[in-house]
Amino acid sequence: MSEAKGRRRDGLALSRALPDRSLLAMVAAMSLLASLTYAGAVGARALSSRWAAGAANLVTVQVPDPEKPAADTTAGSATSMGEATAHKDGASDASSAQTAQFPASQPEKQSGSKTAATPDMTRATAIEAVLQASPDTQLVHRLNASEIDRLLAPWLGAAGASALPLPAVIEVHLSRGAALSTNVIASIAQIAPGSLIERNDEWRVRLLDIARSLLACAALAILLVGTIGAAVIAMATRLGLGARRESIEILHGLGAVDGYVASRFARRVAGLSLAGGVVGTLLALPPLAGIARLMAPLSGGGALTFGSGETGFSIAETMTAFATLCGETPPALLWGLGVVPFAAAFIGWITAQVMVRVWLRRLP
Amino acid sequence: MIRLSNVTWRYGSPTRRAAVGRGTDAATALSSVTFSVPQGGFRWLLGPSGAGKSSLLRLLHLEALPQSGELEILGTHVGVDVKRATLARLRQRVGMVHQDFRLMPTLSISDNVALPLRLERRDEAAVADEVAAILRWVGLSERSDALPAELSGGEQQRAAIARAVIARPGVVLADEPTNALEESQSSRIVGMLREVSTLGATVIVATHNDALVRRFPAPALRLERGRLTSDESNAP
Ligand SMILES: Nc1ncnc2c1ncn2[C@@H]1O[C@H](COP(=O)(O)OP(=O)(O)O)[C@@H](O)[C@H]1O
Ligand SMILES: [Mg+2]
Repeated sequence: MSEAKGRRRDGLALSRALPDRSLLAMVAAMSLLASLTYAGAVGARALSSRWAAGAANLVTVQVPDPEKPAADTTAGSATSMGEATAHKDGASDASSAQTAQFPASQPEKQSGSKTAATPDMTRATAIEAVLQASPDTQLVHRLNASEIDRLLAPWLGAAGASALPLPAVIEVHLSRGAALSTNVIASIAQIAPGSLIERNDEWRVRLLDIARSLLACAALAILLVGTIGAAVIAMATRLGLGARRESIEILHGLGAVDGYVASRFARRVAGLSLAGGVVGTLLALPPLAGIARLMAPLSGGGALTFGSGETGFSIAETMTAFATLCGETPPALLWGLGVVPFAAAFIGWITAQVMVRVWLRRLP
Repeated sequence: MIRLSNVTWRYGSPTRRAAVGRGTDAATALSSVTFSVPQGGFRWLLGPSGAGKSSLLRLLHLEALPQSGELEILGTHVGVDVKRATLARLRQRVGMVHQDFRLMPTLSISDNVALPLRLERRDEAAVADEVAAILRWVGLSERSDALPAELSGGEQQRAAIARAVIARPGVVLADEPTNALEESQSSRIVGMLREVSTLGATVIVATHNDALVRRFPAPALRLERGRLTSDESNAP
Protein backbone atom coordinates (compact mmCIF):
# COMPACT_ATOMS: atom_id res chain seq x y z
CA MET A 1 0.00 0.00 0.00
CA SER A 2 2.55 2.53 1.10
CA GLU A 3 4.88 1.12 -1.55
CA ALA A 4 2.28 1.70 -4.26
CA LYS A 5 1.58 5.12 -2.85
CA GLY A 6 5.24 5.99 -2.72
CA ARG A 7 5.75 4.89 -6.26
CA ARG A 8 2.78 6.89 -7.35
CA ARG A 9 3.93 9.92 -5.48
CA ASP A 10 7.46 9.88 -6.80
CA GLY A 11 6.06 9.69 -10.29
CA LEU A 12 9.04 7.71 -11.48
CA ALA A 13 7.31 4.35 -11.55
CA LEU A 14 10.74 2.91 -11.01
CA SER A 15 9.50 -0.60 -10.42
CA ARG A 16 8.57 -0.74 -14.07
CA ALA A 17 11.60 1.07 -15.31
CA LEU A 18 14.40 -0.58 -13.40
CA PRO A 19 15.29 -4.11 -14.32
CA ASP A 20 14.04 -5.08 -10.86
CA ARG A 21 14.63 -8.74 -10.79
CA SER A 22 17.89 -8.68 -12.60
CA LEU A 23 19.24 -5.98 -10.29
CA LEU A 24 18.02 -7.98 -7.30
CA ALA A 25 19.49 -11.18 -8.68
CA MET A 26 22.80 -9.54 -9.49
CA VAL A 27 23.07 -8.00 -6.05
CA ALA A 28 22.09 -11.32 -4.49
CA ALA A 29 24.84 -13.09 -6.41
CA MET A 30 27.39 -10.46 -5.43
CA SER A 31 26.31 -10.69 -1.80
CA LEU A 32 26.54 -14.47 -1.83
CA LEU A 33 30.05 -14.16 -3.17
CA ALA A 34 30.90 -11.49 -0.65
CA SER A 35 29.51 -13.54 2.23
CA LEU A 36 31.45 -16.63 1.27
CA THR A 37 34.56 -14.59 0.66
CA TYR A 38 34.18 -12.91 4.00
CA ALA A 39 33.62 -16.21 5.78
CA GLY A 40 36.72 -17.54 4.06
CA ALA A 41 38.69 -14.52 5.16
CA VAL A 42 37.55 -14.91 8.75
CA GLY A 43 38.45 -18.60 8.58
CA ALA A 44 41.83 -17.86 7.11
CA ARG A 45 42.55 -15.35 9.82
CA ALA A 46 41.49 -17.66 12.62
CA LEU A 47 43.55 -20.49 11.16
CA SER A 48 46.61 -18.36 10.75
CA SER A 49 46.38 -16.97 14.26
CA ARG A 50 45.88 -20.49 15.54
CA TRP A 51 48.94 -21.66 13.71
CA ALA A 52 50.87 -18.66 14.84
CA ALA A 53 49.90 -19.25 18.44
CA GLY A 54 51.97 -22.39 18.36
CA ALA A 55 49.10 -24.76 18.89
CA ALA A 56 50.99 -27.14 16.70
CA ASN A 57 54.19 -27.32 18.68
CA LEU A 58 54.52 -30.83 17.54
CA VAL A 59 57.37 -33.31 17.35
CA THR A 60 57.13 -36.56 15.49
CA VAL A 61 59.32 -39.48 16.52
CA GLN A 62 59.72 -42.39 14.17
CA VAL A 63 60.95 -45.57 15.79
CA PRO A 64 62.28 -48.29 13.46
CA ASP A 65 61.64 -51.89 14.46
CA PRO A 66 59.29 -50.73 17.16
CA GLU A 67 58.50 -54.18 18.52
CA LYS A 68 62.07 -55.10 19.31
CA PRO A 69 62.50 -55.26 23.03
CA ALA A 70 64.05 -52.14 24.38
CA ALA A 71 66.09 -54.20 26.75
CA ASP A 72 68.35 -55.38 23.94
CA THR A 73 69.81 -51.96 23.47
CA THR A 74 69.61 -50.67 26.97
CA ALA A 75 71.41 -53.72 28.37
CA GLY A 76 74.34 -53.17 26.11
CA SER A 77 74.65 -49.54 26.92
CA ALA A 78 75.06 -48.50 30.47
CA THR A 79 75.60 -44.90 29.51
CA SER A 80 72.20 -44.64 28.03
CA MET A 81 70.45 -45.80 31.17
CA GLY A 82 72.66 -43.62 33.22
CA GLU A 83 71.79 -40.58 31.21
CA ALA A 84 68.17 -41.37 31.29
CA THR A 85 68.32 -41.80 35.00
CA ALA A 86 70.21 -38.63 35.43
CA HIS A 87 67.61 -36.79 33.48
CA LYS A 88 64.83 -38.34 35.49
CA ASP A 89 66.50 -37.34 38.69
CA GLY A 90 66.81 -33.81 37.46
CA ALA A 91 63.11 -33.58 36.96
CA SER A 92 61.97 -35.90 39.65
CA ASP A 93 58.83 -34.17 40.77
CA ALA A 94 57.23 -33.62 37.44
CA SER A 95 58.18 -36.99 36.12
CA SER A 96 56.96 -38.86 39.15
CA ALA A 97 53.57 -37.34 38.63
CA GLN A 98 53.56 -38.55 35.09
CA THR A 99 55.01 -41.92 35.96
CA ALA A 100 51.85 -42.56 37.90
CA GLN A 101 49.93 -42.59 34.67
CA PHE A 102 51.88 -45.49 33.31
CA PRO A 103 49.91 -48.56 32.40
CA ALA A 104 49.69 -50.98 35.27
CA SER A 105 51.42 -53.60 33.19
CA GLN A 106 54.85 -52.41 34.27
CA PRO A 107 55.33 -53.97 37.61
CA GLU A 108 59.00 -54.76 37.23
CA LYS A 109 60.35 -51.30 37.91
CA GLN A 110 63.80 -51.19 39.33
CA SER A 111 63.32 -50.47 42.93
CA GLY A 112 63.84 -46.87 43.88
CA SER A 113 64.56 -45.89 40.30
CA LYS A 114 62.24 -43.59 38.45
CA THR A 115 63.51 -44.60 35.08
CA ALA A 116 60.68 -44.44 32.57
CA ALA A 117 61.80 -47.21 30.26
CA THR A 118 62.17 -50.70 31.58
CA PRO A 119 64.07 -53.43 29.84
CA ASP A 120 61.05 -55.66 29.19
CA MET A 121 59.28 -53.00 27.11
CA THR A 122 59.40 -52.75 23.35
CA ARG A 123 61.41 -49.91 21.87
CA ALA A 124 58.28 -48.02 20.99
CA THR A 125 56.71 -48.24 24.39
CA ALA A 126 59.99 -47.46 26.03
CA ILE A 127 60.35 -44.28 24.01
CA GLU A 128 56.74 -43.44 24.69
CA ALA A 129 57.43 -43.81 28.36
CA VAL A 130 60.50 -41.60 28.17
CA LEU A 131 58.51 -38.96 26.39
CA GLN A 132 55.64 -39.26 28.83
CA ALA A 133 58.02 -38.70 31.63
CA SER A 134 59.46 -35.53 30.17
CA PRO A 135 58.03 -32.39 31.84
CA ASP A 136 57.85 -30.57 28.53
CA THR A 137 55.40 -32.92 26.90
CA GLN A 138 51.72 -32.34 27.12
CA LEU A 139 50.50 -35.26 25.15
CA VAL A 140 52.16 -38.31 23.69
CA HIS A 141 50.33 -40.39 21.19
CA ARG A 142 51.47 -43.35 19.21
CA LEU A 143 49.58 -43.58 15.96
CA ASN A 144 47.61 -46.81 15.75
CA ALA A 145 47.44 -49.01 12.67
CA SER A 146 44.45 -47.32 11.09
CA GLU A 147 45.92 -43.87 11.57
CA ILE A 148 49.13 -44.96 9.91
CA ASP A 149 47.13 -46.55 7.13
CA ARG A 150 45.36 -43.30 6.56
CA LEU A 151 48.59 -41.43 6.64
CA LEU A 152 50.10 -43.68 4.03
CA ALA A 153 47.00 -44.14 1.96
CA PRO A 154 47.98 -41.47 -0.56
CA TRP A 155 51.18 -43.36 -1.29
CA LEU A 156 50.27 -46.99 -0.70
CA GLY A 157 46.64 -47.00 -1.62
CA ALA A 158 43.70 -48.37 0.27
CA ALA A 159 45.29 -51.81 0.61
CA GLY A 160 46.92 -50.52 3.74
CA ALA A 161 50.38 -50.77 5.02
CA SER A 162 49.97 -53.44 7.65
CA ALA A 163 52.05 -55.85 5.67
CA LEU A 164 55.07 -53.58 5.52
CA PRO A 165 57.63 -53.29 8.28
CA LEU A 166 56.78 -49.79 9.35
CA PRO A 167 58.30 -47.66 12.04
CA ALA A 168 56.15 -46.56 14.92
CA VAL A 169 55.11 -42.96 14.71
CA ILE A 170 54.79 -41.12 17.98
CA GLU A 171 53.34 -37.66 18.11
CA VAL A 172 54.50 -35.45 20.92
CA HIS A 173 52.74 -32.23 21.78
CA LEU A 174 55.11 -30.02 23.66
CA SER A 175 54.32 -27.15 25.93
CA ARG A 176 54.30 -23.83 24.23
CA GLY A 177 57.82 -22.72 23.42
CA ALA A 178 59.38 -25.89 24.76
CA ALA A 179 61.71 -28.25 22.94
CA LEU A 180 62.73 -31.83 23.61
CA SER A 181 65.62 -31.80 26.02
CA THR A 182 68.94 -33.21 24.90
CA ASN A 183 68.60 -35.86 27.57
CA VAL A 184 65.37 -37.13 26.08
CA ILE A 185 66.83 -37.06 22.60
CA ALA A 186 69.81 -39.02 23.80
CA SER A 187 67.57 -41.52 25.53
CA ILE A 188 65.62 -42.09 22.37
CA ALA A 189 68.82 -42.64 20.45
CA GLN A 190 69.94 -45.11 23.04
CA ILE A 191 66.70 -47.04 23.15
CA ALA A 192 66.23 -47.20 19.39
CA PRO A 193 69.19 -46.14 17.31
CA GLY A 194 68.02 -44.79 13.98
CA SER A 195 64.96 -43.10 15.39
CA LEU A 196 64.00 -39.98 13.56
CA ILE A 197 62.99 -36.93 15.50
CA GLU A 198 61.23 -34.38 13.37
CA ARG A 199 60.30 -30.95 14.55
CA ASN A 200 57.66 -29.25 12.50
CA ASP A 201 58.93 -25.72 12.94
CA GLU A 202 59.71 -25.22 9.29
CA TRP A 203 56.36 -26.72 8.49
CA ARG A 204 54.72 -24.24 10.79
CA VAL A 205 56.53 -21.36 9.19
CA ARG A 206 55.36 -22.57 5.84
CA LEU A 207 51.79 -22.90 7.13
CA LEU A 208 51.99 -19.37 8.39
CA ASP A 209 53.16 -18.19 5.01
CA ILE A 210 50.28 -20.01 3.41
CA ALA A 211 47.87 -18.53 5.91
CA ARG A 212 49.22 -15.08 5.25
CA SER A 213 48.86 -15.38 1.51
CA LEU A 214 45.41 -16.86 2.08
CA LEU A 215 44.55 -13.76 4.06
CA ALA A 216 45.88 -11.52 1.33
CA CYS A 217 43.86 -13.45 -1.24
CA ALA A 218 40.74 -13.15 0.88
CA ALA A 219 41.24 -9.42 1.30
CA LEU A 220 41.82 -9.07 -2.42
CA ALA A 221 38.72 -11.11 -3.13
CA ILE A 222 36.62 -8.97 -0.81
CA LEU A 223 37.98 -5.87 -2.48
CA LEU A 224 37.25 -7.26 -5.94
CA VAL A 225 33.80 -8.49 -5.02
CA GLY A 226 33.01 -5.11 -3.48
CA THR A 227 34.25 -3.24 -6.53
CA ILE A 228 32.48 -5.49 -8.99
CA GLY A 229 29.33 -5.34 -6.88
CA ALA A 230 29.43 -1.57 -6.91
CA ALA A 231 30.02 -1.61 -10.66
CA VAL A 232 27.12 -4.00 -11.21
CA ILE A 233 24.77 -1.83 -9.17
CA ALA A 234 26.05 1.25 -10.93
CA MET A 235 25.43 -0.28 -14.34
CA ALA A 236 21.95 -1.45 -13.38
CA THR A 237 21.22 2.01 -12.06
CA ARG A 238 22.49 3.55 -15.26
CA LEU A 239 20.24 1.25 -17.26
CA GLY A 240 17.24 2.15 -15.14
CA LEU A 241 18.09 5.83 -15.37
CA GLY A 242 18.42 5.65 -19.15
CA ALA A 243 15.00 4.05 -19.39
CA ARG A 244 13.56 6.74 -17.13
CA ARG A 245 15.31 9.61 -18.82
CA GLU A 246 12.11 11.02 -20.22
CA SER A 247 10.29 10.70 -16.90
CA ILE A 248 13.10 12.40 -15.05
CA GLU A 249 13.11 15.18 -17.62
CA ILE A 250 9.38 15.58 -17.15
CA LEU A 251 9.75 15.74 -13.38
CA HIS A 252 12.56 18.22 -13.77
CA GLY A 253 10.33 20.29 -16.05
CA LEU A 254 7.56 20.21 -13.47
CA GLY A 255 9.92 21.80 -10.98
CA ALA A 256 11.24 18.80 -9.04
CA VAL A 257 14.60 19.59 -7.47
CA ASP A 258 17.60 17.36 -8.09
CA GLY A 259 17.69 16.05 -4.54
CA TYR A 260 14.08 14.94 -4.72
CA VAL A 261 14.49 13.01 -7.96
CA ALA A 262 17.84 11.57 -6.88
CA SER A 263 16.56 10.44 -3.50
CA ARG A 264 13.54 8.74 -5.06
CA PHE A 265 15.76 6.85 -7.43
CA ALA A 266 18.37 6.10 -4.77
CA ARG A 267 15.80 4.85 -2.30
CA ARG A 268 14.36 2.50 -4.86
CA VAL A 269 17.78 1.17 -5.85
CA ALA A 270 18.80 0.86 -2.19
CA GLY A 271 15.64 -1.10 -1.44
CA LEU A 272 16.27 -3.49 -4.29
CA SER A 273 19.92 -3.84 -3.33
CA LEU A 274 19.02 -4.46 0.30
CA ALA A 275 16.60 -7.20 -0.73
CA GLY A 276 19.21 -8.69 -3.04
CA GLY A 277 21.80 -8.51 -0.29
CA VAL A 278 19.54 -10.28 2.18
CA VAL A 279 18.76 -13.01 -0.34
CA GLY A 280 22.44 -13.49 -1.19
CA THR A 281 23.54 -13.58 2.44
CA LEU A 282 20.79 -16.01 3.33
CA LEU A 283 21.89 -18.21 0.44
CA ALA A 284 25.39 -18.19 1.89
CA LEU A 285 24.20 -19.44 5.28
CA PRO A 286 23.42 -23.09 4.42
CA PRO A 287 26.90 -23.86 3.12
CA LEU A 288 28.47 -22.00 6.04
CA ALA A 289 26.18 -23.78 8.50
CA GLY A 290 27.06 -27.08 6.85
CA ILE A 291 30.74 -26.45 7.40
CA ALA A 292 30.06 -25.35 10.95
CA ARG A 293 28.12 -28.55 11.62
CA LEU A 294 30.95 -30.63 10.22
CA MET A 295 33.24 -28.90 12.66
CA ALA A 296 30.90 -29.10 15.61
CA PRO A 297 32.02 -32.50 16.99
CA LEU A 298 35.60 -31.32 16.93
CA SER A 299 35.09 -27.97 18.51
CA GLY A 300 34.47 -29.36 22.00
CA GLY A 301 37.89 -30.75 22.86
CA GLY A 302 40.73 -28.35 23.23
CA ALA A 303 43.11 -31.29 23.23
CA LEU A 304 43.18 -33.53 20.25
CA THR A 305 40.89 -36.49 20.15
CA PHE A 306 43.11 -39.22 18.90
CA GLY A 307 41.56 -41.90 21.01
CA SER A 308 38.72 -42.27 18.59
CA GLY A 309 41.08 -43.10 15.79
CA GLU A 310 38.73 -41.30 13.49
CA THR A 311 41.04 -38.58 12.30
CA GLY A 312 44.53 -38.39 10.96
CA PHE A 313 46.78 -36.17 12.94
CA SER A 314 47.47 -33.30 10.56
CA ILE A 315 43.91 -33.26 9.34
CA ALA A 316 42.71 -33.33 12.92
CA GLU A 317 44.98 -30.44 13.68
CA THR A 318 43.50 -28.38 10.89
CA MET A 319 39.99 -29.41 11.72
CA THR A 320 40.45 -28.49 15.33
CA ALA A 321 41.72 -25.11 14.35
CA PHE A 322 38.75 -24.60 12.10
CA ALA A 323 36.38 -25.88 14.74
CA THR A 324 37.84 -23.46 17.21
CA LEU A 325 37.33 -20.73 14.68
CA CYS A 326 33.70 -21.72 14.29
CA GLY A 327 33.33 -22.01 18.04
CA GLU A 328 34.98 -18.70 18.64
CA THR A 329 33.80 -16.48 15.83
CA PRO A 330 30.10 -16.84 15.12
CA PRO A 331 29.32 -13.41 16.55
CA ALA A 332 32.03 -11.78 14.46
CA LEU A 333 31.08 -13.81 11.41
CA LEU A 334 27.38 -13.07 11.82
CA TRP A 335 28.14 -9.43 12.35
CA GLY A 336 30.12 -9.36 9.16
CA LEU A 337 27.46 -11.23 7.21
CA GLY A 338 24.79 -8.94 8.59
CA VAL A 339 26.69 -5.98 7.24
CA VAL A 340 26.69 -7.36 3.67
CA PRO A 341 23.10 -6.41 2.70
CA PHE A 342 23.48 -2.96 4.18
CA ALA A 343 26.74 -2.49 2.36
CA ALA A 344 24.96 -3.49 -0.86
CA ALA A 345 22.12 -1.08 -0.11
CA PHE A 346 24.55 1.71 0.65
CA ILE A 347 26.51 1.11 -2.55
CA GLY A 348 23.25 1.17 -4.50
CA TRP A 349 22.06 4.29 -2.76
CA ILE A 350 25.25 6.28 -3.20
CA THR A 351 25.67 5.17 -6.82
CA ALA A 352 22.13 6.19 -7.70
CA GLN A 353 22.48 9.49 -5.89
CA VAL A 354 25.68 10.38 -7.70
CA MET A 355 24.49 9.21 -11.11
CA VAL A 356 21.10 10.90 -10.99
CA ARG A 357 22.61 14.15 -9.78
CA VAL A 358 25.36 14.09 -12.37
CA TRP A 359 22.77 13.39 -15.02
CA LEU A 360 20.39 16.12 -13.85
CA ARG A 361 23.25 18.59 -13.78
CA ARG A 362 23.24 18.50 -17.55
CA LEU A 363 19.84 20.14 -17.47
CA PRO A 364 19.67 23.78 -16.36
CA MET B 1 4.63 38.82 -16.19
CA ILE B 2 7.24 37.96 -18.74
CA ARG B 3 9.98 40.26 -19.93
CA LEU B 4 12.71 39.59 -22.46
CA SER B 5 15.29 42.04 -23.60
CA ASN B 6 17.82 41.29 -26.32
CA VAL B 7 17.65 37.58 -25.60
CA THR B 8 19.87 35.44 -27.79
CA TRP B 9 19.97 31.72 -27.62
CA ARG B 10 21.59 29.11 -29.76
CA TYR B 11 21.64 25.33 -29.76
CA GLY B 12 24.77 23.35 -29.06
CA SER B 13 25.77 25.31 -25.98
CA PRO B 14 22.96 24.69 -23.56
CA THR B 15 24.98 25.24 -20.40
CA ARG B 16 25.32 28.43 -18.48
CA ARG B 17 29.01 28.51 -19.39
CA ALA B 18 28.08 29.12 -22.98
CA ALA B 19 29.95 31.70 -24.94
CA VAL B 20 28.31 35.08 -24.83
CA GLY B 21 27.99 37.64 -27.56
CA ARG B 22 28.94 35.69 -30.64
CA GLY B 23 27.33 36.65 -33.90
CA THR B 24 24.27 35.03 -35.39
CA ASP B 25 24.91 31.71 -37.06
CA ALA B 26 22.99 28.71 -38.31
CA ALA B 27 22.45 27.25 -34.84
CA THR B 28 21.07 30.48 -33.42
CA ALA B 29 17.42 29.85 -32.63
CA LEU B 30 16.69 33.27 -31.15
CA SER B 31 18.51 36.51 -31.70
CA SER B 32 17.94 39.78 -29.88
CA VAL B 33 14.38 39.00 -28.91
CA THR B 34 12.73 41.73 -26.89
CA PHE B 35 9.13 41.79 -25.68
CA SER B 36 7.03 41.64 -22.57
CA VAL B 37 3.63 40.23 -21.67
CA PRO B 38 1.72 41.58 -18.67
CA GLN B 39 0.26 39.27 -16.04
CA GLY B 40 -3.01 37.77 -17.29
CA GLY B 41 -2.20 38.53 -20.93
CA PHE B 42 -2.83 36.13 -23.79
CA ARG B 43 -0.46 36.03 -26.79
CA TRP B 44 -0.37 34.05 -29.95
CA LEU B 45 3.15 33.06 -30.96
CA LEU B 46 3.20 32.87 -34.73
CA GLY B 47 5.74 32.09 -37.42
CA PRO B 48 6.63 29.47 -39.97
CA SER B 49 8.09 26.15 -39.04
CA GLY B 50 11.67 26.55 -37.84
CA ALA B 51 11.15 30.20 -36.86
CA GLY B 52 12.06 29.53 -33.23
CA LYS B 53 8.66 29.26 -31.54
CA SER B 54 9.47 26.05 -29.66
CA SER B 55 12.87 27.42 -28.75
CA LEU B 56 11.32 30.52 -27.23
CA LEU B 57 8.81 28.50 -25.22
CA ARG B 58 11.60 26.18 -24.02
CA LEU B 59 13.52 29.21 -22.86
CA LEU B 60 10.47 30.59 -21.05
CA HIS B 61 9.97 27.15 -19.44
CA LEU B 62 13.61 27.41 -18.28
CA GLU B 63 14.64 24.26 -20.08
CA ALA B 64 17.56 26.37 -21.22
CA LEU B 65 19.06 29.64 -20.09
CA PRO B 66 19.62 32.60 -22.40
CA GLN B 67 23.20 33.01 -23.48
CA SER B 68 22.83 36.75 -23.57
CA GLY B 69 20.20 39.33 -22.84
CA GLU B 70 17.80 39.67 -19.94
CA LEU B 71 15.00 37.33 -19.02
CA GLU B 72 12.51 37.98 -16.26
CA ILE B 73 9.70 35.61 -15.35
CA LEU B 74 7.14 36.28 -12.61
CA GLY B 75 9.40 38.88 -11.07
CA THR B 76 12.46 36.67 -11.00
CA HIS B 77 15.48 37.68 -13.00
CA VAL B 78 16.90 34.64 -14.79
CA GLY B 79 20.58 35.18 -15.46
CA VAL B 80 23.58 32.93 -15.66
CA ASP B 81 24.02 33.24 -11.90
CA VAL B 82 20.53 32.03 -10.99
CA LYS B 83 20.38 29.23 -8.42
CA ARG B 84 19.11 25.79 -9.40
CA ALA B 85 16.64 25.80 -6.55
CA THR B 86 15.27 29.13 -7.78
CA LEU B 87 14.87 27.70 -11.27
CA ALA B 88 13.05 24.64 -9.88
CA ARG B 89 10.69 26.81 -7.84
CA LEU B 90 10.06 28.99 -10.88
CA ARG B 91 9.34 25.98 -13.08
CA GLN B 92 6.62 24.95 -10.66
CA ARG B 93 4.93 28.25 -11.47
CA VAL B 94 5.25 27.88 -15.23
CA GLY B 95 2.86 25.37 -16.78
CA MET B 96 4.00 23.94 -20.09
CA VAL B 97 1.98 22.02 -22.67
CA HIS B 98 4.53 20.33 -24.89
CA GLN B 99 3.90 19.53 -28.49
CA ASP B 100 4.39 15.84 -27.67
CA PHE B 101 2.41 16.13 -24.38
CA ARG B 102 5.19 14.58 -22.25
CA LEU B 103 2.81 12.52 -20.17
CA MET B 104 4.49 9.80 -18.13
CA PRO B 105 3.69 6.58 -19.92
CA THR B 106 3.60 4.44 -16.79
CA LEU B 107 1.25 6.66 -14.81
CA SER B 108 -2.52 6.89 -15.15
CA ILE B 109 -4.07 10.12 -16.38
CA SER B 110 -5.11 11.17 -12.88
CA ASP B 111 -1.61 10.45 -11.52
CA ASN B 112 -0.07 12.39 -14.37
CA VAL B 113 -2.33 15.34 -13.71
CA ALA B 114 -1.64 15.11 -9.97
CA LEU B 115 2.15 15.34 -10.38
CA PRO B 116 2.51 19.13 -9.89
CA LEU B 117 0.44 19.01 -6.69
CA ARG B 118 2.35 16.03 -5.36
CA LEU B 119 5.62 17.77 -6.06
CA GLU B 120 4.28 20.58 -3.87
CA ARG B 121 3.56 17.94 -1.17
CA ARG B 122 -0.13 18.77 -1.01
CA ASP B 123 -2.05 16.30 1.08
CA GLU B 124 -3.71 13.48 -0.80
CA ALA B 125 -7.31 14.42 -0.05
CA ALA B 126 -6.81 17.89 -1.53
CA VAL B 127 -4.97 16.35 -4.50
CA ALA B 128 -7.87 13.99 -5.20
CA ASP B 129 -10.40 16.86 -5.11
CA GLU B 130 -8.35 19.11 -7.37
CA VAL B 131 -7.64 16.33 -9.86
CA ALA B 132 -11.29 15.38 -10.05
CA ALA B 133 -12.29 19.01 -10.62
CA ILE B 134 -9.68 19.67 -13.32
CA LEU B 135 -10.45 16.40 -15.12
CA ARG B 136 -14.12 17.41 -15.14
CA TRP B 137 -13.11 20.77 -16.62
CA VAL B 138 -11.17 19.15 -19.49
CA GLY B 139 -13.81 16.42 -19.86
CA LEU B 140 -11.64 13.47 -18.89
CA SER B 141 -13.43 12.30 -15.74
CA GLU B 142 -14.21 8.98 -17.34
CA ARG B 143 -10.62 8.34 -18.43
CA SER B 144 -8.86 9.13 -15.16
CA ASP B 145 -7.55 5.59 -14.67
CA ALA B 146 -6.43 5.09 -18.25
CA LEU B 147 -2.80 5.19 -19.28
CA PRO B 148 -1.78 7.94 -21.74
CA ALA B 149 -1.28 5.41 -24.53
CA GLU B 150 -4.93 4.42 -24.24
CA LEU B 151 -6.09 7.96 -25.01
CA SER B 152 -6.68 9.71 -28.31
CA GLY B 153 -4.48 12.64 -29.33
CA GLY B 154 -7.11 15.16 -28.29
CA GLU B 155 -7.59 13.47 -24.93
CA GLN B 156 -3.83 13.42 -24.28
CA GLN B 157 -3.70 17.10 -25.22
CA ARG B 158 -6.41 17.89 -22.70
CA ALA B 159 -4.65 15.81 -20.05
CA ALA B 160 -1.47 17.76 -20.72
CA ILE B 161 -3.36 21.03 -20.34
CA ALA B 162 -4.94 19.81 -17.12
CA ARG B 163 -1.47 19.00 -15.74
CA ALA B 164 -0.11 22.36 -16.89
CA VAL B 165 -2.78 24.40 -15.10
CA ILE B 166 -3.71 22.32 -12.04
CA ALA B 167 -1.26 24.07 -9.72
CA ARG B 168 -2.56 27.48 -10.86
CA PRO B 169 0.73 28.64 -12.37
CA GLY B 170 1.42 32.29 -13.14
CA VAL B 171 2.50 31.45 -16.69
CA VAL B 172 1.06 28.84 -19.08
CA LEU B 173 2.85 27.99 -22.31
CA ALA B 174 1.43 25.80 -25.07
CA ASP B 175 3.39 24.60 -28.10
CA GLU B 176 1.14 23.91 -31.08
CA PRO B 177 -1.61 22.49 -28.86
CA THR B 178 -4.00 22.06 -31.76
CA ASN B 179 -1.57 20.60 -34.24
CA ALA B 180 -3.11 17.21 -34.84
CA LEU B 181 -6.61 17.99 -33.82
CA GLU B 182 -9.84 18.52 -35.70
CA GLU B 183 -11.52 21.95 -35.65
CA SER B 184 -14.01 21.37 -32.83
CA GLN B 185 -11.25 19.97 -30.58
CA SER B 186 -8.94 22.86 -31.42
CA SER B 187 -11.55 25.45 -30.53
CA ARG B 188 -12.28 23.71 -27.28
CA ILE B 189 -8.61 23.68 -26.28
CA VAL B 190 -8.00 27.30 -27.19
CA GLY B 191 -11.14 28.19 -25.28
CA MET B 192 -9.68 26.54 -22.21
CA LEU B 193 -6.37 28.37 -22.54
CA ARG B 194 -8.16 31.72 -22.91
CA GLU B 195 -10.16 30.88 -19.78
CA VAL B 196 -6.88 30.27 -17.93
CA SER B 197 -5.65 33.72 -18.91
CA THR B 198 -8.86 35.39 -17.75
CA LEU B 199 -8.22 33.67 -14.40
CA GLY B 200 -4.96 35.64 -14.16
CA ALA B 201 -2.23 33.57 -15.81
CA THR B 202 0.00 34.87 -18.57
CA VAL B 203 -0.61 32.59 -21.55
CA ILE B 204 1.47 32.15 -24.70
CA VAL B 205 0.25 29.76 -27.39
CA ALA B 206 2.42 28.88 -30.37
CA THR B 207 0.59 27.90 -33.52
CA HIS B 208 0.62 28.20 -37.25
CA ASN B 209 -3.10 27.62 -37.55
CA ASP B 210 -4.30 30.94 -39.02
CA ALA B 211 -7.97 29.98 -38.97
CA LEU B 212 -7.72 29.44 -35.25
CA VAL B 213 -6.03 32.80 -34.74
CA ARG B 214 -8.83 34.46 -36.73
CA ARG B 215 -11.46 32.73 -34.60
CA PHE B 216 -9.78 33.80 -31.33
CA PRO B 217 -8.40 37.27 -31.97
CA ALA B 218 -5.58 38.21 -29.60
CA PRO B 219 -2.26 40.06 -29.76
CA ALA B 220 0.43 38.09 -31.56
CA LEU B 221 4.21 37.76 -31.37
CA ARG B 222 5.59 36.98 -34.80
CA LEU B 223 8.92 35.17 -35.18
CA GLU B 224 10.93 34.73 -38.32
CA ARG B 225 14.28 32.94 -38.35
CA GLY B 226 14.76 33.66 -34.69
CA ARG B 227 13.89 37.33 -34.88
CA LEU B 228 10.78 38.98 -33.58
CA THR B 229 9.19 40.72 -36.56
CA SER B 230 6.04 41.99 -34.95
CA ASP B 231 4.87 42.53 -31.39
CA GLU B 232 1.28 43.57 -30.80
CA SER B 233 1.91 44.14 -27.13
CA ASN B 234 0.05 47.39 -27.13
CA ALA B 235 -3.11 45.70 -28.24
CA PRO B 236 -5.57 44.78 -25.47
N1 LIG C 1 17.72 20.35 -30.74
C1 LIG C 1 18.12 21.22 -31.68
N2 LIG C 1 19.43 21.32 -32.01
C2 LIG C 1 19.86 22.19 -32.92
N3 LIG C 1 19.06 23.02 -33.57
C3 LIG C 1 17.72 22.97 -33.30
C4 LIG C 1 17.21 22.07 -32.35
N4 LIG C 1 15.87 22.26 -32.26
C5 LIG C 1 15.60 23.23 -33.16
N5 LIG C 1 16.69 23.65 -33.77
C6 LIG C 1 16.77 24.75 -34.76
O1 LIG C 1 16.37 25.93 -34.15
C7 LIG C 1 15.58 26.66 -35.02
C8 LIG C 1 14.22 26.94 -34.37
O2 LIG C 1 13.55 25.73 -34.16
P1 LIG C 1 12.19 25.65 -33.38
O3 LIG C 1 12.27 26.50 -32.20
O4 LIG C 1 11.81 24.25 -33.17
O5 LIG C 1 11.17 26.30 -34.44
P2 LIG C 1 9.59 26.19 -34.50
O6 LIG C 1 9.10 25.64 -33.23
O7 LIG C 1 9.15 27.60 -34.75
O8 LIG C 1 9.26 25.34 -35.66
C9 LIG C 1 15.47 25.86 -36.29
O9 LIG C 1 16.40 26.37 -37.21
C10 LIG C 1 15.82 24.48 -35.89
O10 LIG C 1 16.44 23.82 -36.95
MG1 LIG D 1 7.97 23.96 -32.82
